[in-house]
Amino acid sequence: MRYHGAVIHLRVPGTLRYRDLAVRVVGSACKLVGTPDETTGPIRNTQWDNEVVSAFGEAFNNAAIHSYDGKPGDVDIEVDAGVSAITIRLIDYGKSFAIEEVPLPDLDALPESGLGLYIIRSFMDEVKYVAGSPNVLSMTKYLDPARRQVRQPSDRLQDSGGGDSRQ
Amino acid sequence: MNFNREDDGDVTVLRISGSLDALSTPELRPTIDALVAEKRPAITVDLTDLRLIDSSGVGAIVSLYKRMKALGAKVEVVGLKDQPLAIFRLLRLDRIFAV
Repeated sequence: MRYHGAVIHLRVPGTLRYRDLAVRVVGSACKLVGTPDETTGPIRNTQWDNEVVSAFGEAFNNAAIHSYDGKPGDVDIEVDAGVSAITIRLIDYGKSFAIEEVPLPDLDALPESGLGLYIIRSFMDEVKYVAGSPNVLSMTKYLDPARRQVRQPSDRLQDSGGGDSRQ
Repeated sequence: MNFNREDDGDVTVLRISGSLDALSTPELRPTIDALVAEKRPAITVDLTDLRLIDSSGVGAIVSLYKRMKALGAKVEVVGLKDQPLAIFRLLRLDRIFAV
């Protein structure tokens, strides 16, 4: 029997009150990634899960804080927990932003903000943002390190649109 | 998120547990402001029971560190593990805090 993985759909209000719920769902979905027989392929570990959860949490923050900014609206979350990777699509209907205009933080300066996208770009292997209505942020992380391209966080984005600047 | 503060002589231990994120971090800010206002000489931030942290939570701890350092005080972070440790390492805060 071939294992195809699972796609999980979740819709929550785009406020920080629902952040923990959404993060927990993604954390649980991480456990579905891979093959049922872990001897046939690369396996997850706690660090891998931590990186996915961290990146998603920052993405949710951005949707709640910057896209909606207190205005009502939903966030649709699609989690494709596959055999070799997890892909998370976070869809909001709020304000767009220009991802390529978000600068890398100067870590030597001990910044107190502006770290969210850096965390996303660092921990996920592919990050794509399509601005519009809706805005769609797609993030993929592979189980097998060999499938990852060695790039800097600033390179890990593929698309963008106009709008505000955010963390 | 839960936190508590204990003063023992010059040393203050600030224990934070649960999830320190964009929703909960504002609850911690008044305590940070109080520690700065009181010019406490030494602060230990105990994150042994911290399950999750995001950039907002990191920002609060870095703010505490920078403000206390400007006063000549010492701030250390102990007990980091799992997801919080991954974030601290990514942000190269292990240079500042001996984690």
